[in-house]
Amino acid sequence: MTETRPPDRLPAPDGEPVVRMTGVVRVHGEGTGAVHALRRVSLDVAAGELVAVMGPSGSGKSTLLNLAGGLDRPTEGSVVLEGRELRDLSPKQLAELRRRSAGYVFQDLNLIPSLTVAENVALPRELDGVRTARARAEATAVLEEVGLADLGDRFPDDLSGGQRQRAAIARALVGRRRLLLADEPTGALDTRGGDEIIQVLRQRADAGAAVLLVTHEPRYAAWADRVVFLKDGRVVDSSAAGMETAR
Amino acid sequence: MSVRHGLLALLSRGPRYGYQLRAEFEASTATTWPLNIGQVYTTLSRLERDGLVSRDDQGGQDEQGRVRYAITAEGRDELDRWFAKPVSRADRPRNELVIKLAMAVTTPGVDVAAVIRAQRSATMRSLQELTRALRTLDASTEAAQRLVVDSMIFHAEAEQRWLDHCEAVLARPSEENP
Ligand SMILES: Nc1ncnc2c1ncn2[C@@H]1O[C@H](COP(=O)(O)OP(=O)(O)OP(=O)(O)O)[C@@H](O)[C@H]1O
Ligand SMILES: [Mg+2]
Repeated sequence: MTETRPPDRLPAPDGEPVVRMTGVVRVHGEGTGAVHALRRVSLDVAAGELVAVMGPSGSGKSTLLNLAGGLDRPTEGSVVLEGRELRDLSPKQLAELRRRSAGYVFQDLNLIPSLTVAENVALPRELDGVRTARARAEATAVLEEVGLADLGDRFPDDLSGGQRQRAAIARALVGRRRLLLADEPTGALDTRGGDEIIQVLRQRADAGAAVLLVTHEPRYAAWADRVVFLKDGRVVDSSAAGMETAR
Repeated sequence: MSVRHGLLALLSRGPRYGYQLRAEFEASTATTWPLNIGQVYTTLSRLERDGLVSRDDQGGQDEQGRVRYAITAEGRDELDRWFAKPVSRADRPRNELVIKLAMAVTTPGVDVAAVIRAQRSATMRSLQELTRALRTLDASTEAAQRLVVDSMIFHAEAEQRWLDHCEAVLARPSEENP
């Protein structure tokens, strides 16, 4: 695979988690219609760590992921991403930080229909200011990694659900962000396809990324170093893998 | 599955000594089903009694006086029947967890939610361990062994889903537990 990793991204600064959430509360709406999506949740994700979030529908998983990546701001509590307290950042600074630090796979994928798959995947790098040719080369490399090497010139609407899912994952992987956030990235995939994707995420964690994965599937959660169970906006349980931690 | 049929399957590949059967049995079940040598010989003598295996005259005994066994024609028929017949769910051992949860639900003073949570964490941990085991199997590992670990992963996964289901059902108010 091509060596396109910018030297300023990996590895982590000494021991600090890539993202640290402390006492995070998120209330949607106000008054009688207020929804307490998260109630005082604290969670760290370190470099090299894969953390899975499980829990019933509506338990706050996507909300947690959005907050961790700076796509949303907490009602109360603190989110520190790569050493920066998000509360202290202007909207512009926040946008800059999350673009630079985090790669996302959204639950609804969010691919741009008017761009080809390769263009979609190259886009985050173009926004990074990388030259088009190089952005394209990087896109080609990650498309290969997710098994879409031949489909870069297609448009998202011309892919199967599983292929679209892989394209969205490729877009999150490109540029090797320190934090990877994936909301049900295996949703439309069969077990073999899902296994392949989870292996890619695992490899990224092993290479030093912090990965936060939302999944309903115990078999994918089991690849994580830690599994956090959410219920009604609270962490009710967490299970760490074996004796030897991944760090 | 029965050890009986497992041994017949191994013998269908050619005559074998008891210690070989034990090693091959464990290898093909990824050591998830340890057998002691006593079990192997007890099973072999029952198979012999039933005419499904016989002492292999060609091979005779090895220098330590151990006997080699071979499958008989009846043994092959029995093995074919076994492969052809689906395993009945009723033949499998009862599941302690199911019994425990059923008892927890009906026994006053038991915190069922806590029982479920504790089990879910434990099951997730074993699922994590199995996944790690699978990850460390290298490419040369026999397909049979991989499939055995896969099976344990699917079982643990099903248990996890069932626990989620139990939690959701019990959280729902009903006439019985409003
Ligand atoms: N923008 C919003 N406005 C109002 N309520 C919201 C908003 N976003 C989420 N919620 C509510 O917050 C709660 C948590 O939602 P969230 O999307 O985090 O759940 P989830 O665990 O990801 O569920 P799922 O598994 O169905 O994706 C839900 O009750 C949801 O309806
Ligand atoms: Mg969600």
